Amino acid sequence: MVSRRYYYYLFMISMVINIINLVPRVLILTRFDGVFWSILLAVAYCTLTMYIFTRLIIQFEGQGFPEIFNTYLPRAAATPLLILYSIFWFIAGCILLLSFVDITIRFISPDIRGRAVMTGFLILVVGASRIKATSILYAIETVLMLCLPAMVFILVKALINPAFNWDSVLQVFTYLWTKPKLVTVAGASFAFTGYVNLAIFNRSFQNLKLELRHFWLVPVSGLLILLVALLVPIGYHGTIGVEDHVYSWFSTADSLRMETFVVERVVYLFYITYLSMSLVTVVIYWHVGLELFKGCFNGKESKGESEDGEKGTGKKTRKSRWIQAVILFTLSAIMIYLVEELNQVQLAQAGQWFLNFRFFSEMPLILLLILLVWKKRRSARR
Amino acid sequence: MTTHRASNAANWLREKLAEQSDYEEITLGASSQIQLQYLKSVTNSNLVYQYVVVPSYEMDDVQAYEAYIATFPGTGKADDLQKLIEGILEGYTLVSIGPNSYLLNSVKVESGGVGEAINEAIVQGPREAFSESIETNLNLIRRRYQTSELKVETMTLGSLSRTAIAIVYDQKRVDSSVLQQVKDRLKKVKIDILQSAGELEKYISPHRFRIFPNMVVTERPDRVVLNLTEGKVAILMDTTGFAIIAPAVFTDFFSAMDDKIQIPLVSQFLKLIRYVGLFITLTLPGLYVTFASYNPEILKSQLVLLIAGSRAAVPYPSFMEVFFMLLMMEFLTEASLRLPKAIGPTATTVGGLILGQAATQAGLVSNIMIILVSAVAISNFVIPLSMMGYTIRVIKYIIILTAMLFGIVGIMISVVGIIMYLSDVRSFGKPYFRLTLWESKEKVGHQHGKS
Repeated sequence: MVSRRYYYYLFMISMVINIINLVPRVLILTRFDGVFWSILLAVAYCTLTMYIFTRLIIQFEGQGFPEIFNTYLPRAAATPLLILYSIFWFIAGCILLLSFVDITIRFISPDIRGRAVMTGFLILVVGASRIKATSILYAIETVLMLCLPAMVFILVKALINPAFNWDSVLQVFTYLWTKPKLVTVAGASFAFTGYVNLAIFNRSFQNLKLELRHFWLVPVSGLLILLVALLVPIGYHGTIGVEDHVYSWFSTADSLRMETFVVERVVYLFYITYLSMSLVTVVIYWHVGLELFKGCFNGKESKGESEDGEKGTGKKTRKSRWIQAVILFTLSAIMIYLVEELNQVQLAQAGQWFLNFRFFSEMPLILLLILLVWKKRRSARR
Repeated sequence: MTTHRASNAANWLREKLAEQSDYEEITLGASSQIQLQYLKSVTNSNLVYQYVVVPSYEMDDVQAYEAYIATFPGTGKADDLQKLIEGILEGYTLVSIGPNSYLLNSVKVESGGVGEAINEAIVQGPREAFSESIETNLNLIRRRYQTSELKVETMTLGSLSRTAIAIVYDQKRVDSSVLQQVKDRLKKVKIDILQSAGELEKYISPHRFRIFPNMVVTERPDRVVLNLTEGKVAILMDTTGFAIIAPAVFTDFFSAMDDKIQIPLVSQFLKLIRYVGLFITLTLPGLYVTFASYNPEILKSQLVLLIAGSRAAVPYPSFMEVFFMLLMMEFLTEASLRLPKAIGPTATTVGGLILGQAATQAGLVSNIMIILVSAVAISNFVIPLSMMGYTIRVIKYIIILTAMLFGIVGIMISVVGIIMYLSDVRSFGKPYFRLTLWESKEKVGHQHGKS
């Protein structure tokens, strides 16, 4: 059982990781079309959904989706739902991996083949997504604490740079009074999505409580990070030029220079911090996907491995280990195939679909949880 | 009335200490009026025998004997129970004669077989190290930890060696689940011969495949005592000057006993230095491979040119160079370990001068490589506990390998991988590697929330 600060780490890592990938692109494309109101709407909506979702899942203390679904839903409904959600999480991890391979080739090692980079990433992700949920939470904390100082440094460096054009930023603000767009809301809300990982990580939490003195940080930090994600690239590339960059934040970091350090270009520091955080995020996604998928085979009593690390040797664990191996192998094969098949446009398109689909599936999930809590209360009363 | 009180003291003491394996009780005299109670490990039993036991048979009169005991130097009446238990734990003997009881000073101070700590030397602070006798070692611990909560349980291991083992812990503070696991695992050990603490550590650790040490093996009594106060379990062993402490966390291996002595600012700085050393020794060889062959554009151009210029004469790729030099370094370390003291300096001279100077002049390795290898070796030795030092020595090759395959990406992959692996390690059910910066504060908050 872990303390509740790990809940906020789950939120935080998915928040900061979204600076690099899909979110800023969506925000920047609609910078003249109501981006500010979209951000505000997204922040309000997501804070609410995050609050409701967490309050709901707390009712099932120490249980993940597989246990909850298998107990309170008929099997014919539980299994497809679990598979659907696990595919969802796998795709989230895949998109992140694919775009990071793309970034690596574009910014760091142009002469290395995509498949080689992907293999390297996969070795880590496949190995690490099978470890215990609590271990992943500890790793998130360590990686975040190592990376946050570097990120703050880069941000401060970016903001105090004389080349940062505040006029461009102000120029964007003149489009404040435009109608918000659904696409942008969907994109911005993806940044908040870390709490959904409670689907599995709820197993590790005990008496998780949301207190106002911590929770107010969620909307505030969310708003600030989204604004930074949108405005800093604009300050460097200009209101129009910014849309030429696919990974606008990497281009921004590449505009910065550390004159007095052995590594001159900030982009490498930026790359290193974001690489480690992305890898951890992919591990989170794939771990959740894996556990959800295993959940539809194991029935009610499955609850992951025991805390002291001694693995069971029963028939059931062997079976689930086989399932795990098959899934991970299939996924790795798909990734290694896709990495040189998909081009950047297709990848961005897939990312966009994913964002929209995720946005619209959030409400049904919450409704489903409300139903489950209601069922649980009713069965408890009997 | 007085009879009641005296027997009370003896009974009370028996109740307190009966479960200690080094507690002893002797009844003397024809009518068993005289009773001795003491702790074997801290009491000079020779003295007790000579001056307490023998006279009791020489003098027939109990009264005369009592008078004799009362005049014994360093003797007081035992009337305060608190003083009594403190005295016994320090090494006094309780002599109960009929209604009266006396505390005799029979403290044993082990210093004969006790040497200085060699492997974990420190600048200031206690220098004593464990000796190779378990009795002496228990004495060393009891002298530093004088409370009746300290429990010692003994057992023997090894069907041929019959090595005596003592499980030492503080009854009040110990984590009972850890204690149970230690006992269970010790019971399961089935071997013929047990000769060193490291061996025992291997037998009682749960995983067959391990990279990082799961328990601290130390030669310092003060480290054992410090860990006992933290609720850990120590395992002492006969015939070796090392004790095992379980469970261990990653940061334990980076703490030296000096940290307690220095002023806080200095000790924090020293700790920081050790982690920087860890980082350097792990990543520097990998970074060299990366910068020389894979991603030279990362560094400033002057620095890259410097490396390239220094490597101009070297006829093979950078990873060969790194492997070659690091291997030579490992040979040098191993050789100077095993060599007799008289020839020892020769190895370092030959190694240092010939390898360093001549190899660069011959163009087999670059100058920068030599600097790097020494930096790696020196920073490896910064790690205070040698078991972790050995692990780190091995792990850096993994990083070189990934750097060779994927460049800077590979280094990051292996660093994140090592963090992931470390986070998944448990030592006796306790997380091995995680940040505990906010832990104490949050615990307070937790209790607050509950109340």
